[in-house]
Amino acid sequence: MASTDWLDINSWVTSLAGFSMDTVHDLLPFYQSEFASVQPMLETLISTSIMCTVIFGLMMNTLLALTWIERKFIGRLMDRFGATTSLRSLWVGESGVTAGDWWNQLPLGIGAPIGWLNGILNSIAGNDHKLETISRVNNRGYHGIWFLLPGLFQNVADFVKFVSKEHIVPEKADKFVFEIAPVIILATTIMVFAFIPFGPHIWAANPELSLLFMMAIFGIAPLGVFFAGWSSNNKYTLIGGMRSAAQLTAYEIPLLITVLGVAVLSGSFNIIEIVDFQIQQSDTWNIFLLPLGGALFLITMIAEVERIPFDMPEAEAELVEGWWTEYGGMRWGLMFAAEYMRSYAACLLFALFFLGGWQFPFEDTLASLPTIGGAIATILSLVPGVVWLIAKAYILFAGFVWVRASLHRVRTDQILEFGWRYLLPLSIVNLGVAIYLRLEVWTGESWPIWTAPALSLIALALFIIYAIDEDKDALAYSRRPYNIQASDKAYPGRHKE
Amino acid sequence: MGPQHPMTHGLWTLKIKVDGETVVDTEPELGYIHRGVEKICESRDFTQITTYCDRLCYASANTWSHAYIYAAEDLLGVEVPERAEYIRLIAVELQRLASHLMWLGAYGPDIGNLSAMVWCLREREMMMDLLQELGGSRMHYNFPRIGGVKRDLPTGFALRARHKVKLFLNRMQEYEALFDESTIFLIRSQGVGYTKAAEMVNAGVSGPNIRAAGVNYDIRSAHPYSVYSEFDWEPAVERSSIKGADCYDRYRIRMEEMRNSANLVLQALDKIPGGAETYHEPGDPKILAKSPSRAPEGTSGSHHFEDSRGESMFYIAGGGDGRGKKPYRVSIRSPMFITIPYAAKTMIGYKVADIPAIMGSFDPCIGETDR
Repeated sequence: MASTDWLDINSWVTSLAGFSMDTVHDLLPFYQSEFASVQPMLETLISTSIMCTVIFGLMMNTLLALTWIERKFIGRLMDRFGATTSLRSLWVGESGVTAGDWWNQLPLGIGAPIGWLNGILNSIAGNDHKLETISRVNNRGYHGIWFLLPGLFQNVADFVKFVSKEHIVPEKADKFVFEIAPVIILATTIMVFAFIPFGPHIWAANPELSLLFMMAIFGIAPLGVFFAGWSSNNKYTLIGGMRSAAQLTAYEIPLLITVLGVAVLSGSFNIIEIVDFQIQQSDTWNIFLLPLGGALFLITMIAEVERIPFDMPEAEAELVEGWWTEYGGMRWGLMFAAEYMRSYAACLLFALFFLGGWQFPFEDTLASLPTIGGAIATILSLVPGVVWLIAKAYILFAGFVWVRASLHRVRTDQILEFGWRYLLPLSIVNLGVAIYLRLEVWTGESWPIWTAPALSLIALALFIIYAIDEDKDALAYSRRPYNIQASDKAYPGRHKE
Repeated sequence: MGPQHPMTHGLWTLKIKVDGETVVDTEPELGYIHRGVEKICESRDFTQITTYCDRLCYASANTWSHAYIYAAEDLLGVEVPERAEYIRLIAVELQRLASHLMWLGAYGPDIGNLSAMVWCLREREMMMDLLQELGGSRMHYNFPRIGGVKRDLPTGFALRARHKVKLFLNRMQEYEALFDESTIFLIRSQGVGYTKAAEMVNAGVSGPNIRAAGVNYDIRSAHPYSVYSEFDWEPAVERSSIKGADCYDRYRIRMEEMRNSANLVLQALDKIPGGAETYHEPGDPKILAKSPSRAPEGTSGSHHFEDSRGESMFYIAGGGDGRGKKPYRVSIRSPMFITIPYAAKTMIGYKVADIPAIMGSFDPCIGETDR
């Protein structure tokens, strides 16, 4: 029943473990019956260990692209050249003009080959004169054909820098807790990935209640954050840790209720079954059935991974670096990695819960096209589902980056107010919708034909109404929509006059 | 917070007493980069002082050297050629644009948006290029001279300046899309950091910060000093609410001032006597009048000037005790030195997260504060 593709790593690993254990069993000169009694356990242990390694390697390798996406995309959004591209001007130069022609300064003309090489490079990968002028005028950089690649190596440079830095523990810090906090954060974050299936057959663990397990582990990291903030013995980390604890607790509840809506709609607490429900039973993705749930999940997840606009715990303007302040070197690097892992997990989970996981968009429709349908179906069956899942996660992360580039930071009390007063009731409404859909609309085999279009259109209409509802004349008439909410000072009687 | 803290925009300390996340009391500590400019000036002659005044504020160098030059001309009794006045006006208004862009660029990260900074510095770069054409260097231009300016407008300057200023005016819409149309910016800046007009006037605050509260006092129009009275413009004044000006008002007023400055530059390029494309060699009487190098004993000169951050003022006492070409005393009024203690008190009662939003909206510059 479950969806499948040819990249069946799990069964390969299982059969490999089984084959090797069988061989060991046959080769054993004695204790064969005793070995046979523990053989299934050994096979499970070995195959699970291999799968954990596979998942970890897959996750870490695909994670590197995340920082690259962030760097490149935000560089585009902010009209920024970036360090490596700027360095390139030393070599190739802009429009044939290189910084100083430094090779001509070398003695005895030994720099001449560098000059020739530079000329060749300029003709191949240099900036075109016309495009260069246009980009000057529009202030958009044109960097030849190589502008995409260099940012990847920045990750390596960052890693080397983190590792080579001294590890400093503040004198008055609680040393044990200080050291253990990054471990808690990182370990629980990596553990989340054990329950995330990258494909129908690529997972490290698949218990019956994997959704619950995963959300429970996802909720441990705030504890580590609080530990880190408290143990550093610093005013900024303390405030940052407190804010983080308050914010994460406030957003955990709507997040869980939203996820509960997904589980109710799909009729399972198992992530793989939720994806299979979307692909095979309901024939539509959950985002079209629960658009509100998708929006809530994205908002709460951005808050959970502490990115702008909800990055109050590490607000660098007033709290220096928040609860990270006292960490340096690889400890800081670990927390940085953990933050990106959490973002990645959030993107993957959104793709799994709402975007059909490893299914290509409109796969069935494309495959049923009259003439080219067969060819498309063949091509799609050749590409493993893990590719689509990770592509969806990357696109979602690009959305996160977009949000970061265009929004400001929300204040603590506003974050909490938003969480408790708007997201919590909305998530309960979402749960109610999911229960209604599951109990009253779901026929047991499929949705009525109107369900997904009607729900999506209603959500789209609501969104458009809210989007065009902004007060266009507010600027012209000096009307202030928001100064009523916080007009009075917080403690009227307490400040000195 | 401070002296090294992301909020401070310079080198100073803000001592804050908090109750949870609420600010209960504040106390600013200034003086970390006090260089004794006033005392140094007493041992330099009148021309040399210009370079020191450039260094008063790193974000707005031209306005400070011009403020000094007007005071020195008042002391020495020099008549400035009209073309030089126009060139000065162009330089000062371009500098005001660059300074306000620097402020907006710093205010974005204060409330968590880095794109604002990158965008604003991109536009500031255009203004810096134009100023570099005039003065020759990037930050400290040393452009004005007693009796005129160092150089005439270079060939092609008018064309480039018109193009860049018009491009900037178009890009203002991008900023308004980024700030004004962002609900999060509005809830962060509106209703936060109220300042009352009467309190500010009593405290001596000046410049955009009081115009944000509805006080129509811009020295360029209230006491026109250069050729400002010959242009068609009105100072930007914000209609604030009954509670006074909030951070959003102070943001709006600077946006409007940037529009004003851009329009002033465009008008000046049109109206400049002799035309913007003619070029005079340095030292030509059309751009530099002869000036005496010694001030008679017992004379004094002063001038108040609309700086990017408020009312700056120079008082110069000349001669005396056989000091020759050197002034007897130079006194500088810095607008931010008066504004910062007042601004520190306005944030009492708000949240810790509001401190950068409030403090940043006053546009502090510590170089001129400590001088």
